[in-house]
Amino acid sequence: MRQAIINKNSLLVSAGILIVLACLPLVLPKFYVYVLALIFVTALLAMSLNMVVGHGGMYQFHHGVFYGIGAYTLALMLTKTSLPAWLGFAAAPVCSALAGVLIGLFCVRLTKLYFGMLQISLGSLVWAIAFRWYALTGGDDGIHGVPIPDGIASLIPSYYFILFLLAASLAVMYLILKSPFGNTLRAVRDNPERCEAVGINVRFHQLVAIAIATFFAGLAGTLFVVVEGSVFPDLLFWVLSLEVFIMCLLGGWFTFAGPVLGAAIIVALRTFAGVYTEYWTLILGVILILLIFFLPEGVMGFLEEKFKARTQTTSER
Amino acid sequence: MLLVENVTKSFGDFLAVHEASLRVDKGDLVAVIGPNGAGKTTLFNLICGQLQPDKGRITFKEEDIIALPPHRICRRGIARSFQIANIFPRLSVFRNVQVSVLSQQRKSTILFRPAQTIAVKETRDILDDVGLADKATDVAGSLSHGDQRILEIAIALGNQPELIILDEPTAGMSPEETAGTMALVRRLAEDRGLTILFCEHDMDVVFDVASSIMVMRHGETIIQGSPETVRANAEVQQAYLGGAA
Amino acid sequence: MEWSETYTAAALGSHLLVGLSRAMILFIVTSGLSFVLGVLRVPNVAHGSLYMIGAFAAFSIVNVLGGGAPAFWAALLLAPLIVAAVSLVAERALFCHLYEREHLMLLLFTFALMLILGDLVKMVWGADYRSIMAPEFLRGSVPVFGSPFPKYNLFLLVVGPVVAVGLWLFSSRTRIGKIARAAAVDREMVGAVGINVSWVFAFAFVLGCFLAGLGGALVAPTVSVTLGMDHDIIIEAFLIVTIGGLGNMWGAMVGSLIFGVTQSFGVLFWPQFAIVFPYVAVVIVLTLRPKGLLKSVW
Repeated sequence: MRQAIINKNSLLVSAGILIVLACLPLVLPKFYVYVLALIFVTALLAMSLNMVVGHGGMYQFHHGVFYGIGAYTLALMLTKTSLPAWLGFAAAPVCSALAGVLIGLFCVRLTKLYFGMLQISLGSLVWAIAFRWYALTGGDDGIHGVPIPDGIASLIPSYYFILFLLAASLAVMYLILKSPFGNTLRAVRDNPERCEAVGINVRFHQLVAIAIATFFAGLAGTLFVVVEGSVFPDLLFWVLSLEVFIMCLLGGWFTFAGPVLGAAIIVALRTFAGVYTEYWTLILGVILILLIFFLPEGVMGFLEEKFKARTQTTSER
Repeated sequence: MLLVENVTKSFGDFLAVHEASLRVDKGDLVAVIGPNGAGKTTLFNLICGQLQPDKGRITFKEEDIIALPPHRICRRGIARSFQIANIFPRLSVFRNVQVSVLSQQRKSTILFRPAQTIAVKETRDILDDVGLADKATDVAGSLSHGDQRILEIAIALGNQPELIILDEPTAGMSPEETAGTMALVRRLAEDRGLTILFCEHDMDVVFDVASSIMVMRHGETIIQGSPETVRANAEVQQAYLGGAA
Repeated sequence: MEWSETYTAAALGSHLLVGLSRAMILFIVTSGLSFVLGVLRVPNVAHGSLYMIGAFAAFSIVNVLGGGAPAFWAALLLAPLIVAAVSLVAERALFCHLYEREHLMLLLFTFALMLILGDLVKMVWGADYRSIMAPEFLRGSVPVFGSPFPKYNLFLLVVGPVVAVGLWLFSSRTRIGKIARAAAVDREMVGAVGINVSWVFAFAFVLGCFLAGLGGALVAPTVSVTLGMDHDIIIEAFLIVTIGGLGNMWGAMVGSLIFGVTQSFGVLFWPQFAIVFPYVAVVIVLTLRPKGLLKSVW
């Protein structure tokens, strides 16, 4: 009756997808490889957000800030210091997680919407500073031409670097979500009051979740720098945060890989719709409204539901 | 074991609990009775830390537990169930109980080991004990009302409490389910050496099961004593049992 | 001394007035947001877009009518009405079907509305910078504290309190206002006494959006009207209602004053980081009082 931590089929599917993705650069034109890399980066960001939103039930409205902090930390270390590059890649997620815990300490005192509003407030403070501190962050221009280490400076190696880190991060997140902590987190999401009554320190668990999620958001930020070679304050702006929120909704809150799918759809649509129209946000808005009305569980949630219904009926037969 | 002395709690102008007192000794099966709105649930919330009393003392095993947050009170050995089925509706029955077992074993922050290998035996034992083992993989929200109430008790058992507080464990149950649940409660008390504090509407159940009864009205304690003493008390008869007797 | 040269009483005084007049615009916009928050419990992310539409509509009206005082007054009246009409359509066609759903869905809907309205504005008015002139009698400045102070800002200092008092009278003296306030506190009770809650919500939403439009029309002569002004105002408005206390109109006033004045003094003391000052004020307030300064209706 006990299931293995990951069943054979999904392990095979994941391995298959990974192999296909690893082969794609051999056949695809460079532009598509670039778009894929961008999707991977965004997928990692969306996955990290979903850990607090989908699994933790917290209204982390301004998750993009931690993405931005990771990106800025790496960019600053690569441009302003002569420290080794790997140190930057290690320091950036840690800085994000520290910022996440710091902001989280204020927020977990509150619930739901108040949590979200306070989160936006504190995140916007970070944005305002980055936007104006020309001497350090380049202000609204951002930092361009960040010297990426030679090994991953060109597109194809950077693609594999990002793919590897995404896969590793997803594996770690999967493990965490299947762990006692992951279970407890979902219990906190569903019923914080009950959790307190069984002796769980709700705020502490929420903070741990925030720390993990912001760590991966920071990692995603560093990968963004690898792809684009630049950072700018829009990375910290709240509009991006809400877009990532939509990705989670689109893919499905309560699924594991849903946000990856959501990120892929949104980034791909934005890239290709951008070729034909300048009204991309209109399209995004319409997609969002359709989702709210017709697919509130997200694409992945919808598919899982269908799939479950089918397997149930077959097993009953 | 648990001592509540002259506890008062008001919400605005409304005195929900006024100078209430309660004594629970080890091994007791104490019932709190009283009409709707007498302050029973509020009293339980005060004991378990969901609410803070305005005045009064609450001690558990000779230690003051006022001002402790709920999760700390739980760690001292008090677990509770809620009046309205208060479970984790999206998780499986097994996971529901596992949450409290993990919390009790202080393993809820383990990050890198799969949960399905941890605290399995303890969780299964509890599910066997309460008779939910065959529904372990069901989603908790899909259980029948009666089973959700049993699950509620099972979650509380996961904490391995010394004192378990049950807020109307049989609310909304059919007479057969009520009888089954009370038999379960009594058996748990005997097998596990639990001390139980509960409140209940059905007077037959209360006088049948309880070893001590506390009567509340308008937030005040009228009397606490053995079922015989309570039954004989004129004030109680007039105020509460009068209509039924 | 340099200090006394830069920070004269006159400079402080005029920055205070600039801050206060900015606070009036913020208040008018934020009171609408706060009203919607109080009654519907939804932070309307599209509020900033409606403010932007108000500003663009005022621009068009003034242009069509050829400027002058009558055109200005017409814009001040019609632009908010246009915004109210837009919001009424969105509410009745889509939003009202979501009231039974999770709150997050309502919030995300307003975000979708923001995305759509932003691009619609781009379609209708284009991406150019626009500006309108205040009518003749509000142009130029008058000396206050010995330094020139724009007449239009004085006008704002009058309009803000007028709107505040009007809103207060409305919500405490009229029947619909009282119902809306009651719905903010206990919507089931309002439904139970036979009032159509859905229409109360519609009314509150439209009124809130009307105020956004009014703020947009009022701000139009003082700034360049352009795409992106929605993004800037909405975050400020969110912060203001959060520090004021969600849904509390006087809280919106207090929050606006804090925001406007700290920003204005920020310009005086440390221009580069002027926009950081209000955010710092917000963080300080929320650290001390996480639920805002005044009592939230929630």
